[in-house]
Amino acid sequence: MMKGRMDKKTAFSVGRISAAVLSLLLLLSCPALPLGAQSRFPRPDFESGYQYPELSYAVPSETVWGWIDVSVLLLLLCVMTWAVHRKRTRTPIIISSALSVGYFGFFRGGCVCSIGSVQNVALALVDPGYHLPIYVLLFFLLPLVFALFFGRVFCGGVCPFGALQDLVNVKNLRISRPLAKALGVIPWIYLSFTLIYALTRSQFLICRFDPFIGIFRLGGDFGLIVFGVALLILAVFTGRPFCRFLCPYGALLSLVSAVSVKKITITPHKCVNCQLCHSSCPVDALRPPYGNTGREESRTSSVGRVLLYALLIPLLTVGCAFLLRSWAPQMSLANKEVHLLKLVTYSEQHPDGTPTPEVEAFYAQGRTKEELQRSVDKVHSDFRLYGFWGGALIGLVIGLTLLSLTTRRKRPDYEIAQRECVACGRCFRYCPQNMAAAAKPVGSASVPSSTDTSSTPESPSQSI
Amino acid sequence: MKEKKDDNGNIGSAPIRRREFLRRVGTYLAGGGVLAVGGAAATKVKGKDEAHLYWQIDPSKCIQCGRCETSCVMGVSAVKCVHALRVCGYCDLCGGYYRTGAKVLDTASENMICPTGAIKRKFVEDPYFEYTIDEALCTGCGKCVKGCSSFGNGSLFLQVKQELCLRCNECKISLECPSGAITRVSAPLAYRLKDKA
Repeated sequence: MMKGRMDKKTAFSVGRISAAVLSLLLLLSCPALPLGAQSRFPRPDFESGYQYPELSYAVPSETVWGWIDVSVLLLLLCVMTWAVHRKRTRTPIIISSALSVGYFGFFRGGCVCSIGSVQNVALALVDPGYHLPIYVLLFFLLPLVFALFFGRVFCGGVCPFGALQDLVNVKNLRISRPLAKALGVIPWIYLSFTLIYALTRSQFLICRFDPFIGIFRLGGDFGLIVFGVALLILAVFTGRPFCRFLCPYGALLSLVSAVSVKKITITPHKCVNCQLCHSSCPVDALRPPYGNTGREESRTSSVGRVLLYALLIPLLTVGCAFLLRSWAPQMSLANKEVHLLKLVTYSEQHPDGTPTPEVEAFYAQGRTKEELQRSVDKVHSDFRLYGFWGGALIGLVIGLTLLSLTTRRKRPDYEIAQRECVACGRCFRYCPQNMAAAAKPVGSASVPSSTDTSSTPESPSQSI
Repeated sequence: MKEKKDDNGNIGSAPIRRREFLRRVGTYLAGGGVLAVGGAAATKVKGKDEAHLYWQIDPSKCIQCGRCETSCVMGVSAVKCVHALRVCGYCDLCGGYYRTGAKVLDTASENMICPTGAIKRKFVEDPYFEYTIDEALCTGCGKCVKGCSSFGNGSLFLQVKQELCLRCNECKISLECPSGAITRVSAPLAYRLKDKA
């Protein structure tokens, strides 16, 4: 660098010497200019008074947009909380959904979203070189904190993905419970893989396979847009397929909302067991009353079942952990360094073939294969470590899902399963008790006749 | 995972009381978990001048493979060629303007490197020519950059134009960049200009 500057000064002082001599001088003495620029040709000595045009490169302030995004997020979360817990009507939820799709989706292009922020937070926890922006952390934390206090109000009408699916939903064809439970494991598997790939600094899977971003940006990967449109068509007939069976952040929110401080309830009044909420729910989150009367099985069989699961769950956990750990070499192929080592080894074995751009860049940067091998070994050991824990999480979730299929809980009335409820608010308009409360805010406990529900615009859905 | 317990393991004689207790334990555990993760991540939060918000190309690593043009999620890539005029030699026979082995040095498209005619040339004084980039036409293919680095001073180079970039959470070009030249950088490094180094 110093040499380069000195030469420029010399060049100016020499002034009128012809360009050829100057270029010879420069070529002899100065091979290095800033940032790898070569000076094969000297800087011209203009005589006509030519001025270098001043080019300016504007950097848009991401700070301002970041804070606007966080404010909109907070505002919509508060609106949703108010609509779900205090007002118990769907209209503000629809407005919030439309705003979210419009602002976070189409206007802001879907980045950064809370679902994807999981990866940034995970990366920040292990990579000391990564500097996490505060908005990303808030996008990760705010919905979780709201879920802890008020349930999944974020899913209801703040998340643009959920809102988009909710706005197109017309019918709710039911998926059988065991199938829904089995599909419900997918978000956890997705989450595990996401964490494994983010923690090993390989890829952001959620961003890579985001089905709706192409729709929001009106362009993108063809396959993913087809997938997104297919999900939306599915969402017309059954509620929110992405939220229920894919969304890894939804898995986290469902876990937190299961123990939320304030539960989502359809009405403050007594349930009349009219079933209307059950048929209105697009995500099948309403559990019918269950008496649990009469022993259906003998004591020994239930004890046997407890023993079976006490054995099965640890076995599944450890089994899946070691299974995923043993997959580390295959999984790590998606890492750039591992892929590069493969390409370099291949080109060494086939020296007469044309090297790929990756191999060219590898040699141009003066890296050695030993150094690359060391970094690949590190990646492999990372994959084994996080693969083990990711596998353990998957195994545990599968085990607990199996266990939950065998238990039945006593319920006197229709009840919302807080983990599955996405706070879309459809049941609010179907509950005759809630509608009566809305009509008469004094809070009379009189049971309205069922004809009150005929005023609702949508017809109760079918069941298959 | 403890929070799950209250959902599954409570069939008993006094279900409500035990369920309520387990639920409360679960709430505290979940709250503790959120606090712990949030707190740990909060220590990694940096101010606006340090947080990694922008994607940018390191010109010293770029090998002009041409993937910037095709990998970007936008219809026309946010990567554009920029020109460091203070590094440029203002040559008549420009390696980034004319195709190698061009028979006639005119603006016929078979003689030009740029496939979209985005490089504009203006006579300054004998024998110097000024070259500028019309960004509306540039697709970020890097063909001129390759020519300029091979035969000239390397004053043409690729940069992510920050006013065009959508700032995806993970840049798709960075995934496909063969030399790892695209990284996430802080605001003061949002442009890596050759004439300002």
